[in-house]
Amino acid sequence: MPVFHIDGEPVEYEPGEKVLSAALRCGKIIPHYCYHPGMSVVATCRMCLVDVVDLGNGRPAPKLQTACSMDAAEGMKVETLNPKVEEGRKLVNEFLLVNHPLDCPICDQSGECTLQDYAFEYGSGKSEMDYSKRVNGWRDIGTFVALERNRCIQCSRCDRFTREITGTNEFGMFNRGHELTIDTYADRPMTNKFQGNMADICPVGAITEKEFRFKRRVWKLKKNHSICTGCSTGCNVTIEHDRNEVFRLKPHENQNVNKWWLCDEGRLTYRLMNERKTRIHQPLGRVDGKLEGVSWEEAYAAIAERVADMSPLPEEVLALTDTHASNEELFLLQKLLKDVFSTDNTFCPLPKWEQSESEFFINTLITTDKTPNRAGALALKIKGDAKSAKLKKAIEAELKVVFVLGNPFEAEVEVLEKIKKAQLVVHLGTFHNSWSEIADVVLPGQYYSEKEGTFINKNQRVQATEVAVHALRRTRPEWRILADLSAALGQQSSYGSSADVFNAMTEQLKAFSGLSYAEICGVGKELRQQTKDSGMKVVKAQT
Amino acid sequence: MAEETLVLFKNIRNPKYDKSLAAYKKSGGFKSLKKVFGMKPEEVVQEVKESGIRGRGGAGFPTGLKWSFMAKGTGKPSYLVANADESEPGTCKDRELMLKDPHMFLEGLMIGCYAIGCHHGYVYVRGEYFPSIKSLNAAVDELYADGLLGPDPLGSGFNLDITIHTGAGAYICGEESALLDSLEGKRGHPRVKPPFPAVSGFNGCPTSVNNVETLACMPFILGDNGVEAFKSFGPQNNSGTHLVSLSGHVNRPGVYELRMDVNMKDIIYEYGGGIRNGKKLKGVIPGGSSSPVMTADEVDVLYNFDDLAKKGTMMGSAAMMVFDEDTDVVKLLHRITRFYAHESCGQCTPCREGTHWSRQIVRDFLNGNGSDEKLQRLNRVGGNMMGTTLCALGDAAAMPIQSFVKKFPEEFRKYYATV
Amino acid sequence: MFSKDIQTQVDKLLSRYPIRQNALIPILHLAQKENEGWLSEDWMQHVADICEVPLTHVEGVVTFYTMFRLKPPGKYHLQVCTCVPCCLVGGTELLEHTEKKLDIHAGHTTDDGVFSIEEMECIGACSFAPAIIVNEDYHEQVTPEEMDKMIDELRQ
Repeated sequence: MPVFHIDGEPVEYEPGEKVLSAALRCGKIIPHYCYHPGMSVVATCRMCLVDVVDLGNGRPAPKLQTACSMDAAEGMKVETLNPKVEEGRKLVNEFLLVNHPLDCPICDQSGECTLQDYAFEYGSGKSEMDYSKRVNGWRDIGTFVALERNRCIQCSRCDRFTREITGTNEFGMFNRGHELTIDTYADRPMTNKFQGNMADICPVGAITEKEFRFKRRVWKLKKNHSICTGCSTGCNVTIEHDRNEVFRLKPHENQNVNKWWLCDEGRLTYRLMNERKTRIHQPLGRVDGKLEGVSWEEAYAAIAERVADMSPLPEEVLALTDTHASNEELFLLQKLLKDVFSTDNTFCPLPKWEQSESEFFINTLITTDKTPNRAGALALKIKGDAKSAKLKKAIEAELKVVFVLGNPFEAEVEVLEKIKKAQLVVHLGTFHNSWSEIADVVLPGQYYSEKEGTFINKNQRVQATEVAVHALRRTRPEWRILADLSAALGQQSSYGSSADVFNAMTEQLKAFSGLSYAEICGVGKELRQQTKDSGMKVVKAQT
Repeated sequence: MAEETLVLFKNIRNPKYDKSLAAYKKSGGFKSLKKVFGMKPEEVVQEVKESGIRGRGGAGFPTGLKWSFMAKGTGKPSYLVANADESEPGTCKDRELMLKDPHMFLEGLMIGCYAIGCHHGYVYVRGEYFPSIKSLNAAVDELYADGLLGPDPLGSGFNLDITIHTGAGAYICGEESALLDSLEGKRGHPRVKPPFPAVSGFNGCPTSVNNVETLACMPFILGDNGVEAFKSFGPQNNSGTHLVSLSGHVNRPGVYELRMDVNMKDIIYEYGGGIRNGKKLKGVIPGGSSSPVMTADEVDVLYNFDDLAKKGTMMGSAAMMVFDEDTDVVKLLHRITRFYAHESCGQCTPCREGTHWSRQIVRDFLNGNGSDEKLQRLNRVGGNMMGTTLCALGDAAAMPIQSFVKKFPEEFRKYYATV
Repeated sequence: MFSKDIQTQVDKLLSRYPIRQNALIPILHLAQKENEGWLSEDWMQHVADICEVPLTHVEGVVTFYTMFRLKPPGKYHLQVCTCVPCCLVGGTELLEHTEKKLDIHAGHTTDDGVFSIEEMECIGACSFAPAIIVNEDYHEQVTPEEMDKMIDELRQ
């Protein structure tokens, strides 16, 4: 790849790439506001001014150039640390602060605000402006975000976002010069499903998420890289939390899945991470018709005893799972049924779902399959079909033992009624639902923010969640529950972690061969052998 | 009164001229176009290059060179857009051409279209120029009726259309890339360059934007012996005659067509008839409000691009604004800063904030709150807009501020000095 | 919404440009004229549909250019230039005089809706200053007395 120099250091660039893009890729810091790798270059903030001492032809540029609009060239020499550049950054910073309110004490952006950071790093440290500042006021611009126009530095990222990324054209630039405002016009709040991204890309606290307003100072938040489990796209996120409470999800850049974006629905899945009332807090056993708290040992012992009494035949046992379960959980559930009960009757719902297609990439993110691991279930050959025909046949038999993982078939009353008649129903789940109501034993699992697990997204990409917050004290991760249950029923195993289970899968299953756990936890990796999903339908997105 | 050198105003100075197509043809019009249709386009560009003509819109960029930059073989149509946005304060010369001899300008536009392979030329006229728009539309209708526009002008087989397009009130649309955005039906925001209009201009196609007066020179240049004659009107590198818009405190303000080797003193005293009411000269803004101001003792200089550049100022659009000894210079600067604050498009940080802030500082002086410190600040803030903005409006706003502070500091001090 | 004659002009304009959007500003001028000198939300939406651009785009364009008005002007819109050359020869005083005569400030309309005043930046009549535009007509080298006379005549 061709090379140019920044501050004496060689930087590789792709032909046609801009100086700023190449610099950022190589870890060189050049301050900027309006540049965003996912949108067009406008070069209006002027913060990325650099000194091009050699254009590549032996001559210097006549004045400071914006790095975001300057094509890198062979032999180019750029300086970013000399007095001229320092002056340039100082003056741009001064001009931006001239009309910016001193809102830091009450502004959500404080702590992750590039205006703050650059003012501290490059600013002159004093104000020479003694006149009235421009005042425009707060506006409610949409269902998910609010606009504090006084803070706007007119970088126009939000304007480009609704034009180039969502194609909804809800934002625009109005008036000109000093009066330039960038927002919705008149009272037309935005309705696009990706408004949270506008708060992300806004470099200051002009656009903020209503959900997060005034809730927590960002420097208190711990961040963990995980995946959103709201649908089968599996957008990468950071779970941001403080003292075990999750405050928000932000997108984590992954060019192979969600690029830089996350939908609002996905952001709101953080609420379930904090939900406590409907969680199953401890193992429960039905005594005289009522569920009572028991210990894990008591629960396992009771199940083992009942199974020994019944000695069920293979066709008298089955398992139901939803596709919220991780690959490890599905694998161990299948294994439990096969090793202990010699049956492969593990069922999951596999309804038809729709993938949107659109000229705007962001519109393809939201799918109608609101579970994160349908592709995992297919890869593991869990039984299921669009009308659940196979399941309905299997439940005709006199069932003795039924394991239910999560909340599958929640709308299918006839399935519930049939399962209810089984002699032993064991429910592994995180939230109380209709299954825990009819179960004989309820074993409490953990939510995505509390456990590790791998999931396969709609494009056959294997990704992993990371432990972000502490799990409820008396819960256990489902992989461990299933392994312990198998052991209690006579099948020992030696898994020490979810990763161990995954590694076993890569050894035992052709579909998972060749994958490394470390790689999955980074950017994820596609399955080598991919299962076709006949339930997917591609539809045109509606803007 | 001193004499003009009539090339562009040849017909306009004739009291009997009625600007009709017939009258224009009678005075020799469209002979050059016929000659041009018999030349190769590259030959036309070469002649224009040799004539040395520089853009009359303000930047003074060599026109022949600009046309030679046009990207070729792109598969996209080429466009020539005439810049009739004339909004630089002090400038009122293009309107004279459009109002009183539209055909000379249109013939020049057509010559330019042929030279760069453009089959549809646009004229971007500022929206306020209602009389010029009417005049141009009538002239274009005449050309279509005559067959000079349409499928086969003068039997050349070079189909040619012209559309008169109106702006809607924005000085920034005189900047060529903002003009193109406006022509495309958008806000007039100057574009990031590169790509330059010669590569990607109107709707992404190779485009050349040229001033009205520049194009109006083409019939003369491409006429018999035109190149040599044109060069003879001025010193090396400053060829041709040009239209000078003289305004302010002179006895005879007006638009004069002059050679490029006339002394500024003569323009003020001979052509302009000297300062009105017997007053003394205090200063001159030589080339539109964007040019650095000159004091009375600096006006002994030839009025052309290079001689003025050597004096640290610029000729720009040849709009000379003369002011006398009674003029309140600080008030004048305030009006200038008000203009730029009003016209800034607002895209880029230094201009959006700097034009407004500098105006606030000058107003502070007028309100009696001036100081040495504030004068320094004014100079600094103005200077910070120089070379840091996306387009030249930042520089245009910076130069008057810095030059007024440099040349007339005592006028500012009058507002706050108690001693 | 356009009258038949103007619709013909609109169609002709659309045919002169490679992309419909390019004709936006000339068509907005026609719409403004049809609507008595200003652009309502309905007209902006109509032009947006004709030019196949989003409404937000048209609103952005309308608020950018000074000639597009969002509220009705007077029957006679007096556009007085006070920019540098006009300012040098009495443009500011002419504006103040007009404001006094009509008892309104620039940017407003008289109560009877007959006159409105707009302060202009350079209108390109610098060598013939002070200059004003009344609706679409230029008047140059205007003295305060001539301004008075013109206003009185227009009132008739």
